[in-house]
Amino acid sequence: MRATLGLPVLLLLVALLIVASFMLGAVPIPLAEILKIGQADFAHSFTLYQYRLPRAVLAVLVGGMMALAGALVQGVIRNPLASPDVLGISNGAGLLAVCFITLFPQSSAGAIPLVALLGSAMAALLLWLLVGRYPSETRLALTGVALAAFFAACIDFVMLLNPQEINTALLWLTGSLWGRNWVQVQLLLPWLLLVPVALLLVKPLNLLALDEQNARSMGVNVPLVRFAALALAVCLSGAGVAVCGPVGFLGLIAPHVTRRLLGSRHQLLLPGSFLVGAILLLFADLVGRVIDPPIEIPAGIVTAILGAPYFLWLLFRIK
Amino acid sequence: MQNTKSLSSYPALLAGLTLLLALLFWWSLFSWSAMNISARDALDAVFNHEAGNIAQTIVRELRLPRALVAIVVGCAMAAAGAVMQGLTLNPLASPSVLGINAGAALGMALVTTLGLWQGAFSTSVAAVIGAALAWLIVMSLGSWKAGGQSSRLVLAGIAVSALCMALTKALVILHENQAVAVLSWLAGGFVEARWPLFGKLWPVAVPALLFTLAFAPTLNLLSLGDENASHLGVVIWAVRLLGSALVLVLVGWTISLVGAIGFVGLIVPHVARKLTGYDYRRNMPVAMLMGACLVLLADIVSRAIAFPTEVPAGAILALFGTPVFIYLVRSRI
Amino acid sequence: MFLFLNFRKILTIVVLAVIASYSAAATVQDSKGEFTIDYEPQRIVVLEFSFVDALAAVGISPVGIADDKDKDRILPQVRDIIGDWTSVGTRSQPSLEVIASLNPDLIIADISRHEAVYEDLQKIAPTLILPSRRETYEENLQAAVVVGTAIGKQEELEARLAQHRQKMNEYAAQLPGHARVQFGVARDDLLSLHSENAYAGGVLKTLGFENPKVSEEGAAYVSTGLEQLLAINADYLIFGYYSNPSIVHKWHAEPLWSLLKAVQDDHVYEVNANTWSRARGMMAAETMAQDLVRIFAEH
Repeated sequence: MRATLGLPVLLLLVALLIVASFMLGAVPIPLAEILKIGQADFAHSFTLYQYRLPRAVLAVLVGGMMALAGALVQGVIRNPLASPDVLGISNGAGLLAVCFITLFPQSSAGAIPLVALLGSAMAALLLWLLVGRYPSETRLALTGVALAAFFAACIDFVMLLNPQEINTALLWLTGSLWGRNWVQVQLLLPWLLLVPVALLLVKPLNLLALDEQNARSMGVNVPLVRFAALALAVCLSGAGVAVCGPVGFLGLIAPHVTRRLLGSRHQLLLPGSFLVGAILLLFADLVGRVIDPPIEIPAGIVTAILGAPYFLWLLFRIK
Repeated sequence: MQNTKSLSSYPALLAGLTLLLALLFWWSLFSWSAMNISARDALDAVFNHEAGNIAQTIVRELRLPRALVAIVVGCAMAAAGAVMQGLTLNPLASPSVLGINAGAALGMALVTTLGLWQGAFSTSVAAVIGAALAWLIVMSLGSWKAGGQSSRLVLAGIAVSALCMALTKALVILHENQAVAVLSWLAGGFVEARWPLFGKLWPVAVPALLFTLAFAPTLNLLSLGDENASHLGVVIWAVRLLGSALVLVLVGWTISLVGAIGFVGLIVPHVARKLTGYDYRRNMPVAMLMGACLVLLADIVSRAIAFPTEVPAGAILALFGTPVFIYLVRSRI
Repeated sequence: MFLFLNFRKILTIVVLAVIASYSAAATVQDSKGEFTIDYEPQRIVVLEFSFVDALAAVGISPVGIADDKDKDRILPQVRDIIGDWTSVGTRSQPSLEVIASLNPDLIIADISRHEAVYEDLQKIAPTLILPSRRETYEENLQAAVVVGTAIGKQEELEARLAQHRQKMNEYAAQLPGHARVQFGVARDDLLSLHSENAYAGGVLKTLGFENPKVSEEGAAYVSTGLEQLLAINADYLIFGYYSNPSIVHKWHAEPLWSLLKAVQDDHVYEVNANTWSRARGMMAAETMAQDLVRIFAEH
């Protein structure tokens, strides 16, 4: 039942949340109004086409990609606490973005996604150089953690030296969908092609999850699978972070929720994580928009507050 | 052979570190001031104070308590790190890595931003409670034993730390509308360390530090392994409880007064062990002295780096401490 | 409706509308280049406080303001002129859907805060984007003229500007001048001094005061401890408090505080932090000048 019903139910939830995010916000639009879409007397064309729709699409893409990246990382590091954040990817992106914002305060904000993407690539490269070609899982995770801490320290340092630029930087660092539109959707679309590529790893990941020795004897090229999964995770989460900033706990929690709902076979886990991530970010953005309108609370804060208790519970369950 | 060598040089090492600390202390009294303070002023202010002299008053009222606070904090953080490494037998154990710093910060953030409870020592107590909860969670997830489980402990610590930091940041961002206040709130430093602050710090920190020195032989027994230690009459659970309490008081109290000062507790015990060996009775005093030197130096750098404005010393320590963390991960795991 | 209007009234309306549309055709330079508008905007949304001040200076009421959801952040005298408005959220992240729901025909945005959403704002209404945050006093006046021109009130605004300069001169004449006056904003654990390159510093200079040098690189705002404050040692210290008690209140008890020249001469004053630090504009500057005149009259 799980296998057959799980994904459609999640899809339905995504659809429902999208409709809800069309209707709710600082200016509620009744469903009857939304159904007039395309008609001449449709009064909310900006709010819907240019604001809520691109945001919803972005929430689905970014949430999904970050969660998928988390599932891939947990699949190869086989540590339930692993996530792209743990590898230092988000903080690497954040560091370069913050440097850019403080060094070139007059430059266009549109360049931040590219800089951030470069930052996550840099972080991944540095991690690769530090751990060598055949790292043990623990060494990879711990080095990633240490790198993340280093990047975080650098971010704080740069911002403290340039107090005037902090506002802009911190806005980005909390992870928010505010001010994002179709331009960012276009930026993300090419990276979406990596999602089907990730699905190619389903079988080796399933084998790897059972036992490394066993997987090897079944003909799985373990280092190659590990490299491919991590590289995919870096690209997916790097692209997501580039657009929205680091969204806390998303990549960590979504795969766990999915595992609980759909089991841990990767053919369900990977697409399921994508959908759960989409649901979480859609929900976080919606909550942030309706809780105290017209003030918008960054989605990253909402995911942190929602995700933290779950994470804590998770920690105890893992033990 | 190494043992005999370190035996003969141990008093010299202690003396050298004390001298270094004294010099740094003197330097910190007059260096990098927006006012013109001479090295002589610094000495006069301490030994031969002339009322009404602005430079000397600055030394007496700002620099002296600030340097003393930095020294006590450095000792406390280094001692806390050494005790944690002794208790968990884990080379990466330290207040920042195992989530204690972040737990203390979260406790303070809850009390100050939500205004839950106000009183003379409310933030200090909240910090100690926050640190205790974080420690409890981390230790119930990880394990006290060394070996294959050690990375699990560190990952649990990092996870709890990330959790607490995310919540703290969210609380402060929702509370403050000016981002710079958020950051300066989260980064520890000594800019506002005056006599009243020192007056709150030492009555708790100094007895705890003395107690830590007395605790060193017990840590030695613990490093023999649980079984051997209990054969020698050590009540393991009591030692762990006592050691944990010591760490929490040292770290929580310090953080509530000066903010998070990270990575001293990670780095310094390692260097101290390298210099003096594994005997805690010998490396604990060295670690304390080195911690004091390091934090005092960081405070001097914090004034120099963007002179005449200041950068929190905690941010500087994190910046230089994290590469050492990376190095330790690479060499120990 | 039209049945109740006679022909002359209709004619008057048509003529007025034609005149208005001609006189309102305006082209100005904003931060993104040339900005042209061929009508007199009626529904204006502003995303920074300085632009509200400029609109109020010529008696125009915006329909929406990014007021951080706190109406008190707009100066009382500005509020008296512009009446009520709809909040469109924070200045850093205004809610675009609320802006769109107001059906504005002009949006005035800040290049430093809103450049990232400039394109989106353009889709809602023509958007005039100008410097506001981190602007100096003179830049603020220039931006006000641009705003005035864009809304077809160039003459009125220039007249108001001339009046403003004259007022400031009158205030300056009532003030001693030449004293070294330092303004700073204090929060719980942070004191930020505003230098000559900050808005408040420019106002102080216009009123004939000297700005002490607080930064080598000419930074506009400098976080400061008691030690640096002693080194600056201004004749007059003026503080706005975002929180009370603030860090400055904590310093009151310290021996070094009493060594400050301003403290010894009893020259430390409190002003409204919102007016001095956030508002920015002709009315804000005049209020600041009045504060100073009152302060100096009392001593």
